[in-house]
Amino acid sequence: MTTLRAHLSSPLQLVTLASAALILLPLGYVTSQALSADPAVWSRLWTTRIPELLTNTIWLSASVACLTLLLGVSTAWLVTRIEFAGRRLWEGALVLPLAMPTYVLAYIYSYLLGFGGPVEHVWQLVAGPQARIFSPQSYLGATLVMTLDTFPFVYLLSRSALLNLNVSFEEVSRASGISRLKTLWLVTLPLMRPSIAAGLALVILYVVSDFGAVSLLRYQTLTYAVFQQMTGRSDNTAASILSLLLVGLALLFLVTERWFRHRSRFYQTTGRYRRPERHRFGWLGTTMVTGYLALVVGASFGLPAYLLVIWSLSPEAQATIDNRFFGFLWNSGFLAACAATGGVLIGLPLAYMANRRPSWLNLGCLQAAYAGYVLPGPVAALAVLVLCLNLTPFLYGSVLVLIVAYVIHFLPAGLQSLEPALQQITPNLEEVARTLGLGVRQTWQRVTLPLMRNGFIVAWVLMFLQTMKELPATLLLRPVGFDTLAIRVWMEASEEYYQLAAPSALLIVLLGLPTLLLLLSKDWRAA
Amino acid sequence: MDSAPAAVIDDCPGFWYLFEMAYHFQFPRSTQGRPVLLALFCLIACVAQAATVFAVEKLTVYSGRSERLIKPVLDEFTSKTGIQVDLLSSGTTELVNRLKAEGDRTPADLFLTNDAGSLEQARAAGILRPLNMREVDRAIPPQFRAPDNAWIGLSGRFWIIVYNTTLVKPEELKSLLDLADPKWKGKLAIPNAGSEYLQAGVSVIRASYGDARTKEFLVGLKDNAGGQVYQKSSQIVEAVAKGQASLGIVNHYYIYRHLAAQPTAPIAAFMPDQQESGMGAIMNVAGVGIVRSTKHLESAKLLVEFLVAQAGQKLFADLDKEYPLHPEVKADPALVERKNFRAAQVPLTRLAELREPTLTLIEQVGLR
Repeated sequence: MTTLRAHLSSPLQLVTLASAALILLPLGYVTSQALSADPAVWSRLWTTRIPELLTNTIWLSASVACLTLLLGVSTAWLVTRIEFAGRRLWEGALVLPLAMPTYVLAYIYSYLLGFGGPVEHVWQLVAGPQARIFSPQSYLGATLVMTLDTFPFVYLLSRSALLNLNVSFEEVSRASGISRLKTLWLVTLPLMRPSIAAGLALVILYVVSDFGAVSLLRYQTLTYAVFQQMTGRSDNTAASILSLLLVGLALLFLVTERWFRHRSRFYQTTGRYRRPERHRFGWLGTTMVTGYLALVVGASFGLPAYLLVIWSLSPEAQATIDNRFFGFLWNSGFLAACAATGGVLIGLPLAYMANRRPSWLNLGCLQAAYAGYVLPGPVAALAVLVLCLNLTPFLYGSVLVLIVAYVIHFLPAGLQSLEPALQQITPNLEEVARTLGLGVRQTWQRVTLPLMRNGFIVAWVLMFLQTMKELPATLLLRPVGFDTLAIRVWMEASEEYYQLAAPSALLIVLLGLPTLLLLLSKDWRAA
Repeated sequence: MDSAPAAVIDDCPGFWYLFEMAYHFQFPRSTQGRPVLLALFCLIACVAQAATVFAVEKLTVYSGRSERLIKPVLDEFTSKTGIQVDLLSSGTTELVNRLKAEGDRTPADLFLTNDAGSLEQARAAGILRPLNMREVDRAIPPQFRAPDNAWIGLSGRFWIIVYNTTLVKPEELKSLLDLADPKWKGKLAIPNAGSEYLQAGVSVIRASYGDARTKEFLVGLKDNAGGQVYQKSSQIVEAVAKGQASLGIVNHYYIYRHLAAQPTAPIAAFMPDQQESGMGAIMNVAGVGIVRSTKHLESAKLLVEFLVAQAGQKLFADLDKEYPLHPEVKADPALVERKNFRAAQVPLTRLAELREPTLTLIEQVGLR
């Protein structure tokens, strides 16, 4: 009892609790609103929208998962097990698609594959003038765009698994006379299973919570439906019911991912690390491999980036680069900086307390902070909105509400780099500082903070860049005069003014490139 | 998996090294300057934000109309009066929700929408301010504004059929309700269920023909449209022009705006339900209301005055191809002349009360 009181009396503890409450309260409000809804609304939704939305969401996730599995593992295997000219270049280029927000890729593909678009023209040269290709505004289109955008998750994880595998297993298999292909199938792939599964779970989580691509491709998923309900109806009940379902679904995938990540420990090999032997390919093999990789990278990054540059240089687009445009850029930067700073300030006590005083309370608070993972943008916006309307109506429509939504949404990304940074500092150092006569504050200032500075910076940068490209929450909560680059892209693209959307889109892609460098080093999980 | 062994980093191509360098970059040892710099940055940020807030006389307009259609008109107002206008463009329903939630604290001075039903709802919720302005009474006929002038219609639009002239003959068309016929399966493009024009249109059909007939119509519409459900009317017109859809239902001015930009596009407008005993074309107005809590009443009134006056009305006619409501301002000559067709006899003020059951019906049918 006394210890509990002692715990609660510490200001840091209070801050931790407050932060956790800030994140959990909105979710709680949405849940209670959904559960207390009139059963008639539930039954109406069950009989009309929910079956379609659930099947659409699950089918899209399943097909994207299958395709990313193929693309991700094959590309990872090629760059780790084969030696060919330009291998290192491709190794880096394969993560570039992650810099493309889904809405940018979606709008480019709705131009490319659109009715009467360039791809159809080419196809008509081959198959006759009446030939049609599939519409991008469909299940196939959404699958294609989401696959091209998310396969790098599987690629990154498979690549690191392939590099870390104990190659002796493969060598034993080869020595026993088993062919290269069969070794891949019987030995390598089973060993990679946990990383592949973790990668797929990430992909699925990403697909389930995506708003940008499905809204531009008009493919009805749960996340899109939440947004439509919020903007098309005068009360939020139906939106909260759909949100609850969505959170449930996302939670399911998150738990699966955690479970596989946990299991993956059994597969870590010990002993000395050895670089895997790379099979050298002749010119024919090199050409084929390069062709394949060029196709993948070209479709997911090269061609879209080329189009963005061309469109940005067009006179129509140049005319939009005026003071207003820089205003949008400033808004994006301002919001992102606030959100990142807020995220670090809130994340730090949470991570610190869970790490240094791992009581059930503190660990619970930290877990609560990861709730953002299962809160897709529209849901985070809805949650903050409902909370704000109930508790602090005077804040509604202010920048603060939007920033809180960002922080909730992106805190997990920040914590991913704050947590390990803290874990790496041994408490001994702090203890030594205390015994040498430093106070608590001085210890923080002179020991803990300087040691975790890098983790700090990485967390800030990650949250900053993610907020820059955030779309749905910004659309729903932005105050007057706070249009961001992402909003401009979406507004222009949803009316098919491709050229006008290009400069903002290009800028977002360019600003996203630094995240990739972070991804490649350690924090791959955060984006 | 989480902590990549050093070998992976050794394996990084050149440009990752750059990052590694940046990552391990050390700040200069002296820490004295940093808080000052940080504070300076915050100060600059705050001042920049504040500067935009406390500028000269300024109006904040919440607009449910596409920014492309309304911004030129507001820019004209600014250049005439010097009053700055801050525009928040978003969905109409979303903005009504927002105004309700913000109550008296709303920064909005005026509310512009694409739908009379939403304006009437906002009036019923006490968001809008009744007006007593001679200019309004003179310019806008009474059927196009609220009884207390809490909202004022600015321009008329008709929910009509756009068809591709190479794929459809006008003789095949008569009533909107015929679009539910299975012969249009896969050929029809419609707006999504959240669109206020669709909601208002369905309300008018309900008022004219009853719920059972309307439901039948919506079911047919849903089947015929399939995946061709669009967020924006401009996309529907585009799809019809390209032949992706043979016909669609849109507000008339999107057709004429498209034709003004691309005169050779193979599209035409069809004014439906003009046959004997037909209900007439479905009309709606875009309108404006002054928000009750505005602190800039005089400037807001100036803007309303500008919008209803002949010059402002002419902008709606010329730029947006809408039907101006001012009796002395002529519509664009490309449009079907107003006196040559009939409009449905459902008063605009009824759109609000019809709306909730309409939404339920739309949801029952499962329109997207």
